[in-house]
Amino acid sequence: MIKKFIHQFASPKTYLFQVDRAYPYIFYTSLSIYLGALFWGLFLTSEDFVQGNSYRIIYLHVPASFISQSLYLAMAFASAIFLIWKVKLSAYLVRSIAPIGAVTTFIALVSGAIWGIPTWGTWWAWDARIISTLILFIMYLGLISLHDSFTDNEKADKFLAILVIVGSVNIPIIKMSVEWWSTLHQTASITVTEKPAIDPSMLYPLFGSIIGFTGIVVCLVILSSKLQILKREKNKSWVKDYV
Amino acid sequence: MKKILVAENLSYKINDTKLFQNLSFSLNEGAAIHILGSNGSGKTSLLKIISGLTKQTKGEIEKNYNKDICFIGHKNALKQYLTVEDNLSLLEIEAHGNLKSFLQLLGLDKLLDVMVANLSYGQQKKLALLRLFLNNSDLLVLDEPCVGLDKKSQDILCTFLSDELNAKKALIFSSHISLDISAEVLQLDKA
Amino acid sequence: MKLLKFELLKLRKKSRGWLGPILVFVLIMTAFPLTVEMLNKDIDQSFLSVLWIATLLVMMLATEDIFLEDFNDGTLEQMAIKHNSLSGVITIKIFVYWLLIGLPISLLGALYGFGITSSADLAIQLIPILMITTYIFLNVFSFGNALSLTKGSILGILITMPLVLPLLVVLGKVVIAINLGMNFLGFLFLLLGILSIIILVLPIIISFVIKAHLE
Repeated sequence: MIKKFIHQFASPKTYLFQVDRAYPYIFYTSLSIYLGALFWGLFLTSEDFVQGNSYRIIYLHVPASFISQSLYLAMAFASAIFLIWKVKLSAYLVRSIAPIGAVTTFIALVSGAIWGIPTWGTWWAWDARIISTLILFIMYLGLISLHDSFTDNEKADKFLAILVIVGSVNIPIIKMSVEWWSTLHQTASITVTEKPAIDPSMLYPLFGSIIGFTGIVVCLVILSSKLQILKREKNKSWVKDYV
Repeated sequence: MKKILVAENLSYKINDTKLFQNLSFSLNEGAAIHILGSNGSGKTSLLKIISGLTKQTKGEIEKNYNKDICFIGHKNALKQYLTVEDNLSLLEIEAHGNLKSFLQLLGLDKLLDVMVANLSYGQQKKLALLRLFLNNSDLLVLDEPCVGLDKKSQDILCTFLSDELNAKKALIFSSHISLDISAEVLQLDKA
Repeated sequence: MKLLKFELLKLRKKSRGWLGPILVFVLIMTAFPLTVEMLNKDIDQSFLSVLWIATLLVMMLATEDIFLEDFNDGTLEQMAIKHNSLSGVITIKIFVYWLLIGLPISLLGALYGFGITSSADLAIQLIPILMITTYIFLNVFSFGNALSLTKGSILGILITMPLVLPLLVVLGKVVIAINLGMNFLGFLFLLLGILSIIILVLPIIISFVIKAHLE
């Protein structure tokens, strides 16, 4: 039953056409949400008690780091689907998410560094969360280079999926790194169980920016996946009609 | 007669290139199949599918043997930095009664202390074939066994294989050099 | 078991396979105090870091052709045909490599620790830590070697290095724990726990990867 359901939606051609239709909506909606949240956060809220105006980079840094980790989890999920049910589209998705993940992690690292200058006095520190995020960045690059080093695409997909799953051990480390070790990073201000430790006037733009950023990243993933699909299926007849 | 191997509609595709499709054949005990085909037609891939190393893209293959397979491929499975004797011990065939006679037959008995890396190509091939000569399997799968062998050794190989067939073992092999055994021909065409 | 005997024989005779990494380790650890003396810095503090890095690099070196050689000469093929699952073979292979390379390095590292810091406590504490750490490194780098079996081993090993970095972070904390003399057993058990999971899971994954390569 599940197999049939998955195979129905697993055709790269169907995916491509559906995604083409949905793309403009997602793009413009998320762009407006993000810009709206940014505007609210940048201009309409007051300064932070401790950090002054410099805390405002939170509207870039937090969405970026949140997304970079979520993208990796998405890749792990897609890899599992690929290994169990052999859905080729999953493999394409994994390969297309990887570069976007790398870019997002890079943004997280750089925005974090910029934030660090006024608050910690340094743009780099070897604390656990920064190191694990750096490891995540290197992993993304490693995944891309591993996949591209193979001429045999089927093998490449398999190994990519395996490496993604083995490497997902890094994600819990990142998330828990602020709890397990005493680091420069503060502990989570937003958790599912407790009341947020952050002021509501900053909380809402933060949520907005996370949602908007997610949407923008989804658009990037869509573009990247279209590229992957067209590249890998280029011998099929429907591609020749499409292009 | 017992069917050792039954293949139905085997197809194999690698990277969107079809090598062979809808191949069906059966192999009885005491019979041999000679796979013929031009370079790149999929002979090695078919043999690897039969040995279980590769999975076919489509089709079923039914294996019916009691003991295992003896597979001799392109690579010799010899450790270059060990002596002939050490390699033999790795093959677990020291205690085999016929070992000495085979070594003499193939001209390897004086070379026990030589490092495999110092043997000639043909001598290494003969050493690799020892695994075949002292096998304890029902199904023999050989990929180009005669490469590098002199005429005398080829004859020894053919005689041995005929004896094995008489002992109710099954044989499937690919070879550009024609062997002196009665074998059914399986042609892999490039469509 | 017979497999164990065979793998031992193979690695023992291949002297560059185990002697090489050990000698490199000795080289690094001997060169370290020489350079530090010249710069006149505090040896004790940096010694442990150099030890971890040297161990890391040497384990990377040691796994350079753990599967590559067997893959290239066809031995891996024969093993795959003979055994249904390669994970047993892989576990034994890694164990043999650890026995001939990891174990000597752990003892040597502890010896150096004693020689440089003159603290017997430290040396004794180092032995189990190093034994476990070298084994973990061996496993992870073998995974890397298996991944890029056909493309040259360096790529695979470099790619799996990020997986090992969190372990280094943990080791850094071990350094602090040792220096303050606290909670050593706790860390040891943590390392043992990580090792047991890795020993069980990685060979299965590596077997999967190698089978895919043999196709």
